[in-house]
Amino acid sequence: MTFSINSSAKLAAIASLGLLYSTAVFAQAAPQELTDALAGKFKGTVVTAFGAFADADEVKFNENVKAFEELTGIDIQYESSKQFEAIIATRVDAGNTPDIVDFPQPGLMANFAKAGKLIDLGTYLSADYMQTQYLQSWLDMGTKPGASGDPMLSGIWERVNVKSLVWYPKKAFDAAGYAVPTTWDEMIALQNQIVADGDTPWCIGIESGAATGWAATDWIEEMMLRTNSLEDYDKWTSGELKFKSPQVKKAAESVGSIWLDDNLVFGGTKAIVSTSFGDAPAPMFAEPPKCWLHKQGNFITSFFPKDRELVPGVDYDFFYLPGIDPAYGKPALVGGDIWSAFSDRPEVRAVMAWFTKGEHLKTWLASGGTISPHKDTQLDWYGNDIDRGVAEILAGATSVRFDGSDLMPGEVGAGSFWKEMTAWISGSEDLDTALTNIDASWPSK
Amino acid sequence: MTVTTKRRPSPRAALSGIALALLCLLWLLPTVGLLVSSFRTADDVRSTGWWTVLPHRDWRTVATIEPGKDIDRNGIMEFAGVSGTFEELRAGLVAADGRRVIWLGNRRLGTVQVQELQWKSNLSLTVSNYENVLTGKQYEITNERGVTETLRGDDLSNAFLNSLAVTLPSVLLPLVVGAFAAYGFAWVRFPGRTALFALVVTLLVVPLQISLVPVLSDYVRIDLNGTYLAVWLAHAGFGLPLAIYLLYNYIASLPRELLEAAMVDGASHLTIFWRIVVPLSGPILASYAIFQFLWVWNDYLVALIFIGSQPNVQVLTMRLAEIVGSRGNDWHLLTAGAFVSMILPFAIFFALQRHFVRGLTAGSVKS
Repeated sequence: MTFSINSSAKLAAIASLGLLYSTAVFAQAAPQELTDALAGKFKGTVVTAFGAFADADEVKFNENVKAFEELTGIDIQYESSKQFEAIIATRVDAGNTPDIVDFPQPGLMANFAKAGKLIDLGTYLSADYMQTQYLQSWLDMGTKPGASGDPMLSGIWERVNVKSLVWYPKKAFDAAGYAVPTTWDEMIALQNQIVADGDTPWCIGIESGAATGWAATDWIEEMMLRTNSLEDYDKWTSGELKFKSPQVKKAAESVGSIWLDDNLVFGGTKAIVSTSFGDAPAPMFAEPPKCWLHKQGNFITSFFPKDRELVPGVDYDFFYLPGIDPAYGKPALVGGDIWSAFSDRPEVRAVMAWFTKGEHLKTWLASGGTISPHKDTQLDWYGNDIDRGVAEILAGATSVRFDGSDLMPGEVGAGSFWKEMTAWISGSEDLDTALTNIDASWPSK
Repeated sequence: MTVTTKRRPSPRAALSGIALALLCLLWLLPTVGLLVSSFRTADDVRSTGWWTVLPHRDWRTVATIEPGKDIDRNGIMEFAGVSGTFEELRAGLVAADGRRVIWLGNRRLGTVQVQELQWKSNLSLTVSNYENVLTGKQYEITNERGVTETLRGDDLSNAFLNSLAVTLPSVLLPLVVGAFAAYGFAWVRFPGRTALFALVVTLLVVPLQISLVPVLSDYVRIDLNGTYLAVWLAHAGFGLPLAIYLLYNYIASLPRELLEAAMVDGASHLTIFWRIVVPLSGPILASYAIFQFLWVWNDYLVALIFIGSQPNVQVLTMRLAEIVGSRGNDWHLLTAGAFVSMILPFAIFFALQRHFVRGLTAGSVKS
């Protein structure tokens, strides 16, 4: 890659890192390896990294670690693959293992932890230290049983994204006199208002090639969190609570109350399955808008139409998908990237420890497009209001839960759950059949 | 006196000509669509089909009517000579004179458009896709001090060269080894020849996927993985059974008398191979080279496993897969990327196509 970097900016970045090193690093019990690395003891070493994120995210990652690399002399060589899930197993089987790996979902990481391939990060990242860096729920989501069956810290969260967001075309939305709903009842009222005005409120699309249906599973998960207890959600994602149970069925029916109503969905229910998830928000930006609301994670802005400059906060904005039952508070559904280590060299320890600090993400946060899960991240580090707003929603959530389909076994979470939801929405199956089929596909232990 | 008769095609030949032309057209249509799409803007690609660049009739607004404040928007309304409910007007009503009256926007704020059918074509073409692909995508990075700079991502040139570096030896290696082996199987008598040949042909049915992990772990053990040599050997190995089988069929059918004459004259096997067999086998060598070239050039899996996707070594197919972005948000760039990656195979094919056709038909008619 040929990038030019401003040398004075480089110096300043190093200077600010040095400052952090002298204050923040010593304030908390960060591992000795990080201190050593920042003192330049591992100059000339290489840490190989492998992950699924590519393109813009890869550039941002490389820029983000540049200052650390220059200060420590550790070269972090990141390699991405679009076929990450398939390749990582082949490479580990053949012994061609990268030092650190970025898993897009903890379910896959759990397999490698169980197979005894991952290093227990708890050996150098103490529980006390980790608790100063992350909320407990993130640590729980990174802790998986190792080969012995005992839980171990298998991965650390670097970046997250929040899914419980509803996007709307702000300019037209304000012009039409609509108000952002803060409760479920207000959202239903808004829906009815839009219908009374002769429009369809929701833009929904779940087509995604072989992965068609994943966007539907997000909705089910949102409704699970809003109509059921967290215990039920956790039991559901671990397989204890069946899809056929009244709780899951209730969540699915809540989704159906919107999706299966032709008046509420642009193009009608039949358009959901044939519309690509990336094209779904486009009708929001037609003039006048053809639909007004679109629920999707913060990444969706990269799919918004590019034929004109859409200014965040002016042309579009988002609100938190309100809770339904006050008893279940304001849950946030998240996805994220978790780093695990396959090697245990000092320089690898230093890099992993570096990733547990919010300040390591500063360049990425300023460039936009990601949210930090770290406790020590300041809101003013975010480069734009959209990301900052998303971070505020995450901070204000009463509970945080990971995308359920990513926690389930691959056969379900990346297979039958997608397919059966698609079959249900397209009308080729009724809800009971779909839920029964998903239960049947759950692998026996 | 010379009589020149103009050859007139027989009806049967004309018919088959037309059928062939139709088939070609049908076959080429998706590629033409891809080519047209590669010159369209991202939003056009997403919203309309490529055929809309051709002239077609579409509604165009000729007048806009502001519905008055006091009109009853829940009842029957009348505009420009047609009347209907809001829902009917939203769907569009065609007046007697062929004009369409359509309500645009919602019930409270919308306007009424009077439209006429007019010829139009979506001719807003752009080369920006090719620009993006050839010079690299642009990314805006703001560092922690708030300084924003624009970075350019990788362009295709590096990947193009890498692909060449992978492909050329991966074609030459099995070609040379395969030709030697085919000659040996065809003209050298040695014990176990038939069994060995049968074994090689049997290898044709072994799918390369099942050997990925064993080969990779061997490569890791001898520290070969991630090098070009690794992928050359892999391609050569996977390509050899077909090479030997294809070349054997051709070389074995060369006239026996020719080779025997050379032998009587005292030529060694090596001399016969270089002076007689290779010059006579031009067409089959060229067609195997094309086969193998296309296969290696378009290969994704073998390169993915044995070289990986580090930017300094990644091949074109891998670069193309990455061009669509982390979540496929830039898939429209694939159109331009596909055409750029096609340039070399096109050139090779047209340069060698004469041999290609001869190679395919050679040996099919026994004299």
